Amino acid sequence: MRSVFVKALYDQRRSLLGWGIGLTLLVLLESALWPSIGNMPDLQAFLANYPEAMRELFNLEDFGTGTGFLNAELFSAMVPVLFLTYAIGRGARAIAGEEESGTLDVLLVTRVTTAGLLVEQAAALLAGLLALGTVLYAAILAGSALFGLEVGVLPPLSATLATVLLAFEFGCLALAVGAITGRRAVAIGVASAAAVAAYLLYVAGELVTSVESWQPLSPFTQAMSGGPIGAGFQVAYLAMPAVAVVLVAAAMPLFARRDIAVAH
Amino acid sequence: MQTAIQTWQLSKSYHGRPALQAMDLAVPADVVFGYLGPNGAGKTTTIRLLTGLLRPNGGRATVGGHDVVRDRERAQRLIGYLPGDFFGYPQLTAAAYLDYLGHLRGGPDRARIRALADRLDLDLSVRIGAMSHGTRQKVGIVQAFMNSPALLVLDEPTAGLDPLVQREFLTLVREARQDGQTVFLSSHNLYEVEAVADEVGILVRGSLAVVEAVDKLKAQAVRRLDLTFAGPPPVDVLHRVAAARQIAVSGNTVHLVVEGHTTELLSATAPYGIEQIVTHEPDLEDIFLSYYDTRK
Repeated sequence: MRSVFVKALYDQRRSLLGWGIGLTLLVLLESALWPSIGNMPDLQAFLANYPEAMRELFNLEDFGTGTGFLNAELFSAMVPVLFLTYAIGRGARAIAGEEESGTLDVLLVTRVTTAGLLVEQAAALLAGLLALGTVLYAAILAGSALFGLEVGVLPPLSATLATVLLAFEFGCLALAVGAITGRRAVAIGVASAAAVAAYLLYVAGELVTSVESWQPLSPFTQAMSGGPIGAGFQVAYLAMPAVAVVLVAAAMPLFARRDIAVAH
Repeated sequence: MQTAIQTWQLSKSYHGRPALQAMDLAVPADVVFGYLGPNGAGKTTTIRLLTGLLRPNGGRATVGGHDVVRDRERAQRLIGYLPGDFFGYPQLTAAAYLDYLGHLRGGPDRARIRALADRLDLDLSVRIGAMSHGTRQKVGIVQAFMNSPALLVLDEPTAGLDPLVQREFLTLVREARQDGQTVFLSSHNLYEVEAVADEVGILVRGSLAVVEAVDKLKAQAVRRLDLTFAGPPPVDVLHRVAAARQIAVSGNTVHLVVEGHTTELLSATAPYGIEQIVTHEPDLEDIFLSYYDTRK
C-alpha cells in the first residue's frame, strides 16, 4: 500500500464484497418478481386504488413497465438507503474513526497533510461507490435480461450514476463533519439527519404544492426525479458532486486548525 | 539543524485549564533530551504541540527551524514520532503497517525495518491486533526509528517493554545520537533517562522547573552517604554541618544526606577517625523530588 487512497480502498475490500453480493441479490430478486407483476391482467385497475399521493411519489402510473417497476421497487427507497448507509459509514470512519482508534497520530506526522488526507479519503469513498455502482448496474442489466424487464442499456447507467453521486454527497458530509469534530457518531448523526431531511423535502415537494419550489434543492430530487431510470443524464446531477467538493473543501481549514484528540 | 527544538512562551490550555504554561525551551541538535515529569505534568501536551497535533493557545515552537503551526508539514517531515498510546491498524501485520508508513515517509527501507525488528525480537508477520501491549510498542518504536529522522520524539517509549528490550532500546537511542539524530524522550522512569540523556528538563504542573545537563544536575544533587567511625559518631559536629540533613545513627555508622559538596562535612568529621565511607550514586529521583517539593 503506497498511499492513503490505496489503503482506504484496501480497507473497503471486504465490505464492498459483502455489500456487492447483497445488492446483486436484491436486484435479482426484485427483477424475478417482474414477470408475475407485469402479467397481472388488472394491474392498472389495482394501482388506481392507491391514494393519489402514493401514486405520484412512487410513479405508480409507470408501474406496468419494467422501468417503472424498478424505479418504484429499487430506487424509491432500498437502493438509495443502501448506498447512503455505506457512504455515510465510510465517510465517518475515514478520519473520525481513525482518530478515535488512535491511528491518526502517527499517520499525520508523515508527509500526509490534513488536506491531502481529506482528498484521498474522499477519492477512495468515490472509488468504492463507483465499484458498488458497477455491481448495481451489472445486476440491473442481468436482471433485465433474465426476466424481460426491457430497461435498455443507458437508462440504468444514468440511474446508477445518480445513486452513486447522491451517496457520495452525503458520504462527503460525514467525512467533513468527522474531520471537523473528530467524532464518528456525530458525523454519522449529522449526515443521516441531513439525508432524512433531504428525503422529506423531496417527498413533501411531490405532495405539497407550497413546498414544490424548494424541492430542487434536495439531492434526492436532483438524483431521483423523473426516474431515475429513464430520466436520462440530468444537469442537476452535477449539483451533487459540486456540493460534495464544497463540503470537503470547507472542512480543510477547520481540520487543519483543530487539535487532534488522543484515542478514547 | 542547529537547534532541534525551540519554544517561546509555548502555552496550551484545555477548556481554560492550563496544561502547559509559557514554556521557553531550546534543545540543541545531536543530543538526547530527557523530558521528565510526573503523570499529568504536561509532557504529552508538549509533545503533541511539537508534533503539530495540537495548536498552542500562546507562544510558538519550531522543529528544525520550522514553525510547528505555520510550517507544520515541513516540521512533521523531520520527526519520527512514537505517541504515548501507540496504536497501529489491528487488521494489518506489522510488516504491512511499517511498509505503508514507510511509503508515506518517502519509501520504506525494508532492510532497516528487518534489522530493527530483529534487534527488538519482533515478529513482523503477526497482525497488530493479535499483539500484546509490549509487542505493539515494539512496532511503535520501529516505525519511529525506521526512516532515521532528524528528530525522534518519543512519548514514554519504554512503557510495557521487558528489561532486555528496554536495554536494546536505549542502545538504539545512543546510536541515533551518534548518527547525528536528536532524541526528545519523555519519561517518568528516571533511570532510563539518566542512562541515555545528555540534558534533562523537569516539568512540574505545566511549567518547566529546570533544564540542566545530566552531569551538572548530578553534581548539584543530594547525595546519600554512610560514614562509619572508629568510635561513637560525633553527632553534634554533624548537626553543625550546614549541608548535612536527615542524620540517623546506628551503632558507629551515620546515614545522612548531603546537598552539594561534601568538603565541609569531610573536613569537620575527619578528626574523629572515619573508617569507611559509602556513597550512594545520586539519581534523578532525588533531584526530581526536591524540585517537585519546592514547587508544592
